Order: sequence, then C-alpha cells, then structure tokens
Amino acid sequence: MGNCFKTPSTDDISLLRGNESQEGSDQSLGPPPPYQERVPVFHPSPNVSRPANQLSEEEQIKIAKRLGLISHLPSGVYDGSSKKGKECAICMCDFVLGEGLRFLPCMHTYHKTCIDDWLMRSFTCPSCMEPVDAALLTTYETN
Amino acid sequence: MAGLPRRIIKETQRLMAEPVPGISASPDESNARYFHVLVQGPKDSPYEGGMFKLELFLPEEYPMSAPKVRFMTKIYHPNIDKLGRICLDILKDKWSPALQIRTVLLSIQALLSAPNPDDPLANDVAEKWKVDEKAAIEEARNWTRKYASAQ
Repeated sequence: MGNCFKTPSTDDISLLRGNESQEGSDQSLGPPPPYQERVPVFHPSPNVSRPANQLSEEEQIKIAKRLGLISHLPSGVYDGSSKKGKECAICMCDFVLGEGLRFLPCMHTYHKTCIDDWLMRSFTCPSCMEPVDAALLTTYETN
Repeated sequence: MAGLPRRIIKETQRLMAEPVPGISASPDESNARYFHVLVQGPKDSPYEGGMFKLELFLPEEYPMSAPKVRFMTKIYHPNIDKLGRICLDILKDKWSPALQIRTVLLSIQALLSAPNPDDPLANDVAEKWKVDEKAAIEEARNWTRKYASAQ
C-alpha cells in the first residue's frame, strides 16, 4: 500500500554496519537510539485521532484532499481593518497586526493556525456551520 | 497546571464576570479544566424549582473537541440517562469550536424545557413520554422534588 507518510526506518543503520570492518569496533555504535521521532497526529473524522503511520489508505486520501482544499482558501495577514471582526472565535484572542488569517467563503475570519486545525477535523465554518466546500462551490457559481 | 490555554482563562473570567441567569459554573480549585455546575430547572418545565448539579470537563483538545458534561443530580428526562449522560448533538457531532461553556450550558437548560423523546438516550423514559406524556411529566416533577429540591 502506498504510504505517503514517511516513517523512519532502520535501514540506514544496517548500511552503516557494512563498513564496520573498516571502522573497527562495532561496540562503539551501541544499540539503536530509542524511537523518539514525533509522528504527527491526524483526525480523519472529528473525535478520531490517529498517528500518521496508522492511517488507512482511505483516510490518507481524505486527508491529502483536505490539505489541498485548505491550501486553496484565501489567507492573508491582519492589517488592522476591523470590518472582519477583531477576535478569533476559536482561541478567543484578538487579532494582532501581522498575524496570519484565513478567510472562509462565508466571510468568517480566523487565525490561520486555529482554523486549519479545525478544518482538518471538520470542513465547516465554526461560526455559521456552513460546509466550506458547499460555500466554495456557490462562490464559484455566482462569479 | 502548566499551560492553561488563554481561551480557557478568558472563558472562566467571563463566566465569573457575567454569569448566565439560572446557571453557575465555577472551576475546581485543583483543576482549572473541571467545573462544578449548577443549573436551575427552567420555569414552566417539570424541573421548575429544582437545582441540578452537573460536572463539566474541558478535554486536552478543547476547543477542538467538545466539553464532557454529565448530570450529577438524578433527573427524569428522555435525553438524559441513569448515569447522567446527556444526548445533545452539540456535545457530539455538531460540536464547533465557536461554541463555549456558556452556550453549552444554555443548550442543556433549553433541553430541560424541551425534552425530545424521539431522540432518546434513556429509552424507558422516552417510551413513557411518548405513551403517556402527562404521567411522564408528573414523574419528572416527582423526581425534581425528591432529588433536586434546593436544600
């Protein structure tokens, strides 16, 4: 199965072992370090949390598609214009000049990091519950 | 408690500064994510005159996932089971991070005013509600008097 999420393997260590005779003692190498790399956690559906290396192929496709859709949503930087509201409804903090924002098709605005985290779980606007892809389609149709 | 998110601090402050009528929520002394909640039985409902104790917990993922809420006081309601678990869409699949402790508790108060026996959690209660609503409401009143009378 095509797993796009790369997991560390121990192959490179075994390759190193091939040179042991030249390097001398293999004791210096010691046991491999304990597995410590942090695997990113995804949420294929709300309430489901799974490390990247335990996702089914179907879930990987869903997540990849979702990442693609999110990257197409307009984003920008807070320039102090207050007409779009000044507080992020997710973290309840005020927007600060220069912070990254994401603009949803329903015209609601959030911190980019806050809303992207949510959109990976549910593709809906937290404030109006409008499905983001449906809103995207109607935006395209009216244009 | 290391790293309590700003949002939780803000919500707690706002809850204290502008409490919701008929609802009180205060954080536990030793755990800022655990709230002791009191909800007054709404007027013109079989729960009127009752004071219901609930517990509310904000999980690690909050606000990306919903608070966990449970009735501690026994209550006769088609959408609340014996263990106090609540069948409410916004606590499950309809959760949104724009909702807050305040809105969750208001929704629970509204659920007391408008029981929904067609989407039951406590099956026997819902059955009773559908077969003989008058008797069910009377039973809810009895339970309120018996278990939820303020002092």
